[in-house]
Amino acid sequence: MSDGETARPVRPRPRLRTLGIAAGLLAFTVFAANEVGFDASTSWEMWSNPLWEKFWPIPWDWVLDRSNVLDPLVETFQIAILATIIGCGLALPISFAMSRLTAPNRPVYLVSRSVMNVVRAVPDLFWAKLLVTAVGIGAFAGTWALSVFSLAVMVKLFSETVDNADPRPLEAARASGSRYLPAVRTGVLPTVLPEYVAYALYVFELNIRASIVLGLVGAGGVGRVLEAQRQFFRFDRVLGMLIIVFVVVFVIEQVSVALRKRLV
Amino acid sequence: MTATQSPPTESRPTPPTGVKRRRALIAITLIVGAAWSVTGIDVTLERLLEAPGDAWDIFKRLWPPAMDEALNRGVIGKVFESVYIAWVGTIIGAVLSLPLAFLAATNVAPRWIRIPVRQLFNAIRAVPELIVAVIFIPITGLGPWAGTLAIGLHSVGTLGKWATEAIEGVDTGPLEAVEATGGRWVSGMRWGVLPQIMPIVASFWLFRFEINVRASAVLGMIGAGGVGAELVSQLIFRNFPAVGAVLGITVLVVLTIDTMSAAMRRRIIAGAARTSGPDLDADRNAEALANLTGFRR
Repeated sequence: MSDGETARPVRPRPRLRTLGIAAGLLAFTVFAANEVGFDASTSWEMWSNPLWEKFWPIPWDWVLDRSNVLDPLVETFQIAILATIIGCGLALPISFAMSRLTAPNRPVYLVSRSVMNVVRAVPDLFWAKLLVTAVGIGAFAGTWALSVFSLAVMVKLFSETVDNADPRPLEAARASGSRYLPAVRTGVLPTVLPEYVAYALYVFELNIRASIVLGLVGAGGVGRVLEAQRQFFRFDRVLGMLIIVFVVVFVIEQVSVALRKRLV
Repeated sequence: MTATQSPPTESRPTPPTGVKRRRALIAITLIVGAAWSVTGIDVTLERLLEAPGDAWDIFKRLWPPAMDEALNRGVIGKVFESVYIAWVGTIIGAVLSLPLAFLAATNVAPRWIRIPVRQLFNAIRAVPELIVAVIFIPITGLGPWAGTLAIGLHSVGTLGKWATEAIEGVDTGPLEAVEATGGRWVSGMRWGVLPQIMPIVASFWLFRFEINVRASAVLGMIGAGGVGAELVSQLIFRNFPAVGAVLGITVLVVLTIDTMSAAMRRRIIAGAARTSGPDLDADRNAEALANLTGFRR
């Protein structure tokens, strides 16, 4: 530096451990790619697969016929609405039970938290399939499955909001001799309610998307039609349906986003 | 100003006007929505009352799990196949999304390319993995490669969006320094932006990997490889102890990967010195809330 030399700074040599980690990750990736059947030649050949032609042309007559796509789609949305109401309704008390700030006592806190962690670890469609087996194929099972799923997502999001709520109103209520429920109701609930509503609408959007695939495992809605057409190799109908479904979903989401901005 | 001694009032303060009306409006909307939805779903009171009992019956029979049978059928291998699918899918998503994110960020990309790339991310995020897999299965055939492609393509949407946001939040100093020495656009990105975003982007990849492990478990249910197929076939035979074992192993692996990956993310963000750094999940939730509602705490 001091002798005015303008040499480039020497690049630090990578540490042995860094190289080791990189090599390990690379080896794991190669191994995993091999396991899932990755093959450079087939991954290009698949784009020239003649089956692509079966996706075209889209039979608009069939797709736009009410009973084929639109009616099941409405059923899908009914599942999503009901599941959102049930799931978010149950999530309100459970979130308060599993937040450090408002848990009534330690056992309730620990039990609700660990049960919810396990519920969330089971993927949503596993719930759907289990409940289809339990209560029969159809929208009824789908509603239950999606309710469980919304409950799991909602308590995760909302209990963290409760964790971060201002503890002072709650302390004030407790100090003035309030019992547990009124203290939570007047000390915490008003400060977190706007976020509750925003999250509920967000969960509703998630449910709209999730309810579309429920039918793939027999839990009702538009996915049932999708599954049937897929099994008959009518990919042109599948593609047409998907276009309609995603246009409608997009419109509903825009409405929900606008509503959320207005509410909060 | 001195505090005046006001006589204690017995009456509670009345809520502001309009609150009651708004509450009634919300309640009516919810009730009407629920009622309309119930009409579409074949619910009878009888069925509603029986359902929890039926479900409980099934759940009871999941215990004790038939671990031996599950192990003999190679469930562990199937779960690992799901993990491989998630890993390769995440890598495909990461490799495709990182260059695209540079083209979508407001501060480094021109408008004409930014808008279409952003719309591409939005469109990809709108289509669930399962639907992508439904489209790919006829082309690639049943098996893990269909699931890998579906997860890889779907990951591009979220990973691209998060990386774009990371790029938009960088310090512009290094970028200006590169430009001042005559560096081209690519050099600016490589030496001015990439080193700044790499830790957070790597933690996004890990986060997406956690999500993908769950997604790939589900993908097996429609024949795209992994543990889902095993669950479906055991349920068809109503072999509930085996179902319990499959569920138990899956949950165990999912939770283990979540925990490991969360620890790694924390370490990447906070550095080796402070392994108990900021909680990315909480940050991301706050961030998601801000994006959703337009307000920040």
